[in-house]
Amino acid sequence: MGLFDIFWKPSPQAAERQAARERRLAEIHASLHNGTVPEAIRTRLEGARAGTLPWTATLTPAELMIARSHGLKPIATVSATCWLHYGWSWTNGHSEGWGMALRRLREEAWAAGANAVLDVKMRTIPLGPAGSMDFSLVGTAVHMQGLPPSDDPIIATVPALEFVKLLEADVVPTGLAVGAHYEWLNDWRRSTTNLRWMGNIEAQQLSALWETVRHHAHAQLRSYARSQGNGVLAHLNFSQMFEREGEGDTKQYLARHIVVATTVDARPGTALPHNIEMVVDMHAGNTPLTGTTSHHQSYGSNEVRGAI
Amino acid sequence: MTTSIPAHAVERLKGLRRSAHSTGVFTSDFSVNEFLLVRKAGFEPIGLCVGTCVYHVGIQYGSWKKNQELDVLSAAMYHARELAMSRMRSEATAMGADGIVGVKLTIKRLEWDEHLLEFIALGTGVVHGDGHRGFRAHDGGPFTSDLSGQDFWCLLHSGYRPVEMVMGSCVYHVAHRGMLAGLASVGRNVELENYTSAMYEAREIAVERMQAEASAANAEGVVGVDIHEGSHNWQRHVIEFFAIGTAVLPLAEEIAPEKIADPIMVLSVND
Repeated sequence: MGLFDIFWKPSPQAAERQAARERRLAEIHASLHNGTVPEAIRTRLEGARAGTLPWTATLTPAELMIARSHGLKPIATVSATCWLHYGWSWTNGHSEGWGMALRRLREEAWAAGANAVLDVKMRTIPLGPAGSMDFSLVGTAVHMQGLPPSDDPIIATVPALEFVKLLEADVVPTGLAVGAHYEWLNDWRRSTTNLRWMGNIEAQQLSALWETVRHHAHAQLRSYARSQGNGVLAHLNFSQMFEREGEGDTKQYLARHIVVATTVDARPGTALPHNIEMVVDMHAGNTPLTGTTSHHQSYGSNEVRGAI
Repeated sequence: MTTSIPAHAVERLKGLRRSAHSTGVFTSDFSVNEFLLVRKAGFEPIGLCVGTCVYHVGIQYGSWKKNQELDVLSAAMYHARELAMSRMRSEATAMGADGIVGVKLTIKRLEWDEHLLEFIALGTGVVHGDGHRGFRAHDGGPFTSDLSGQDFWCLLHSGYRPVEMVMGSCVYHVAHRGMLAGLASVGRNVELENYTSAMYEAREIAVERMQAEASAANAEGVVGVDIHEGSHNWQRHVIEFFAIGTAVLPLAEEIAPEKIADPIMVLSVND
């Protein structure tokens, strides 16, 4: 209605519907603020848990087949979002944002009575003002037959087939770890740009900058992962460097590096209990055994293909 | 090793044709592997089914500073898809299909008018080879599913059959932020809770609608759920959440989990 709000008189029914929507939105806002699952979502999850609503699963039929044969029953699609404004640091925002989304996803999984969430995909919604980004996770909450619901459901950022493959090898995927680091370099003497007459030579300052940034990011990944498991798999590496003119004759460089990975809890030395056979695949294009859609679309470049 | 060619195939090679379709010719958009697996699952393709709908999606302005569903747009997106789907389905019914597999639902913008959207639903109608009618949807018409031929085979072997493609749409206007809120957050990373809540509400509406469709089709569950986010060239801050999946029911003779064959670990040598 926009500009003409004042000329527009809603009917009593429309006003009531509008009021109900506003109450719902306010309730969602308050729940998220308090770290609980919003009422509407909780009702849906509990319905799916009790079987009064159909279960919903992001799993493909091939994944459903192997989930069923291994005693996993889908309950509901769960999702979480955190929309963060980078008032301070874009780079660090990534570990904060994914961390918050992960906590919220775990809350939903708990409300669904799940033992684990499989096939967790990272999404970024292409909308919104500069200086902010949304961190969304979508996955399928599942129940392991014969087990009571978990107090601390596992969040597996791998498709169902890989989840089962890992479980058989005594490896439990447990969550998501993020390492993010950035640093500014002030190049007072412009020593990085005055290499023109030097022939083949290393730009030592820039190498050192990258070395520092990447080592810090990986160290943070390790400490982030420690609370969730004893290892990480399937890295996603993302890095960017920018150059800008500083004051006077100075050049400034910003380097940032983000690593995101699946954390696992693995017992060392347990091998996969199956023989590997060679086959000719009947599938057109990519095999669905590794999932049909990309497991993230949040980082455009520098991606290393892996499970997430 | 040589395998002898079945007599039926030899007949065909001689130019003798027979097909479930009344014209004696089937059409499909199956790949070779898909075709072989749909037949392995006990079905025969009879014809491509298509439904089209060109829809004028009007304008609805959201209040500048409000998070709200643009229900006129939601209804339009929903209705247009429904028209395309139901046209495809009635074509399948006319052919006598028991179901449609590999449905692709696409939206195109028409160049000359930004409000015109073209919705296309395209899939391959199939019939059960032995004339088993138990695979039809709850209303006796053909089932619909966006599963490929390969997925279709897998679904039947996991003990389920497809019933209906189910979907839920929600077009949503996300509020613009006020100036004061912008200033207050300088110097630290803060969550934009209004935006987060808006995403939650919009996604929830779409998922609930999809689930309601599944309930209406008496389905036990929904497989292959995907939640898309898209903005079909609408104004900034307007986004559509679209949830889609295939509603499924257990087969008449349910397959116990332990009866599902264990897959064999393989290394594909295709590449």
